[in-house]
Amino acid sequence: MFEATKSATDLVNLSGRFDASQVDKARAVFDGINETCTIDFKDLDYISSAGLGVLLKTQKRVSEKGHKLKLINLNKHINEIFKYAGFNTIFEIE
Amino acid sequence: MNMENTFKREINSLDKIFDFISEFSIQNNLDESTVFTINLIIEELFTNMVKYHISNPHKVFISLAKNEDVLTIVLIDYDVEPFDLTKVQEYDRHKPLEARTPGKLGIHFIKKMMDNIEYDYKDRQSKITLTKYLRNE
Repeated sequence: MFEATKSATDLVNLSGRFDASQVDKARAVFDGINETCTIDFKDLDYISSAGLGVLLKTQKRVSEKGHKLKLINLNKHINEIFKYAGFNTIFEIE
Repeated sequence: MNMENTFKREINSLDKIFDFISEFSIQNNLDESTVFTINLIIEELFTNMVKYHISNPHKVFISLAKNEDVLTIVLIDYDVEPFDLTKVQEYDRHKPLEARTPGKLGIHFIKKMMDNIEYDYKDRQSKITLTKYLRNE
């Protein structure tokens, strides 16, 4: 079960499994991000290239306005995926 | 313990596929990292098959096998055009943000995470065989 919850204007919490079947649900939240925002991965178990695509599209859009996504609490598997994708160089990850 | 099944060609089949992988993983006592890898690899391949042959009525065949320390994943797609993932151009992970797209990312993951990839195409049937040596974990 995947959830993307905007708990504050600058904080989105992700949980569950962010696979290709959850892209529309994620877009409904990420398309509403228009300034610098923290994405908390604490309860996210899994992400595929479909999920990375949503993050990438949002990062590109907000960076055009001088903002960015800040990603926190990635588990070791997701962190590894970000490194394989080279996303560790285009996102701020804590 | 080996397992095989066929899955309807739609994105919503992913839940059933993940359940199938979970059952195989429990039966074979696979670690969390290996399960994550299998989920990711199969999702990337399956969603490509859905995306590029959306109107194809045939189900997609998936098999999982573990023999000692060798994990073998097979996907077979029926009545399709050829698509040899081993010949796909390398994903450039060093491009700046503005030049990035998610295209080829899934195949890049497969190449990074699996030890061997074979592609066979015959009689309009695509067969992808992936091998991972678990002792390297």
